[in-house]
Amino acid sequence: MIRRRSHRMPALVPVAAMGDIAFLLIIFFVLTTNFIKEGHVRVEPPRAVDIEQMDESPVSVVMDEDGNLWLQGAQCSVEILQNGVEAALQGSKTREVMLKIDRNMQEQDFQPVLMALSKAGATIKLTGDKRRN
Amino acid sequence: MPLHRRNRAMAALDVSAFADIAFLLIIFFILTTTFVRPAGAPLEIPAGAEDKKQSEKKNLTVSLSPTAIRYGEKGEAVTLDELRARLLKRDLPRRAEADRIVILDSAPTVKYQAYYEVVMVINSTGGVLALIDEEPDR
Repeated sequence: MIRRRSHRMPALVPVAAMGDIAFLLIIFFVLTTNFIKEGHVRVEPPRAVDIEQMDESPVSVVMDEDGNLWLQGAQCSVEILQNGVEAALQGSKTREVMLKIDRNMQEQDFQPVLMALSKAGATIKLTGDKRRN
Repeated sequence: MPLHRRNRAMAALDVSAFADIAFLLIIFFILTTTFVRPAGAPLEIPAGAEDKKQSEKKNLTVSLSPTAIRYGEKGEAVTLDELRARLLKRDLPRRAEADRIVILDSAPTVKYQAYYEVVMVINSTGGVLALIDEEPDR
């Protein structure tokens, strides 16, 4: 028996719509992503038992392992921190400020930061890592 | 002069590479997105300028040095668990806000790790943290 090869057109898969779907997904991720403002800042957070997970706040202050202070990802000094936080909180729905301090910092270094935030009328969210018992 | 239409093949634009680029971008965004929620606790530190001596008499004071946690006026050394137990015993959440104030007096050389643990214990047991602002001598 002789089999004949049928002359069929090659099957074409339309992939143009894949690009549309992918770009829609990209737009979704771009709009919903919160980029880390202090990704370049090296800080080792403290650990504690009595903490819970909480929501992010729009304003963040970080003191890194070298004692440098960062407000919204930009380096600043303690002297201008109060005014900077007050300005950042203007137009914000909450008075919450995320504060992350390196665990090896000493009280004499971070106390002025706490006082400045307190004077700015901020609700300080002290962040750390949850320690399991 | 008669013009002849040439029989040219239709120009087909290959767009399959677009999808590859787009999916690479998606992978980038997925990898750089933080899904982790931060852990911690919100603190309201009163910003009032109270008289230090008066506050210390009225409110509970917890003193912190690099080696010990001291509780109350007598300065009894306690562990973190003992501090938690004593503060729970005081039933701070049921008290008026002024009676919930716990003054944290810390030595300048105390590390943030020790400070943070004490602050979180005070906060979780219903205490309102008050800090002592050491004004520079004029």
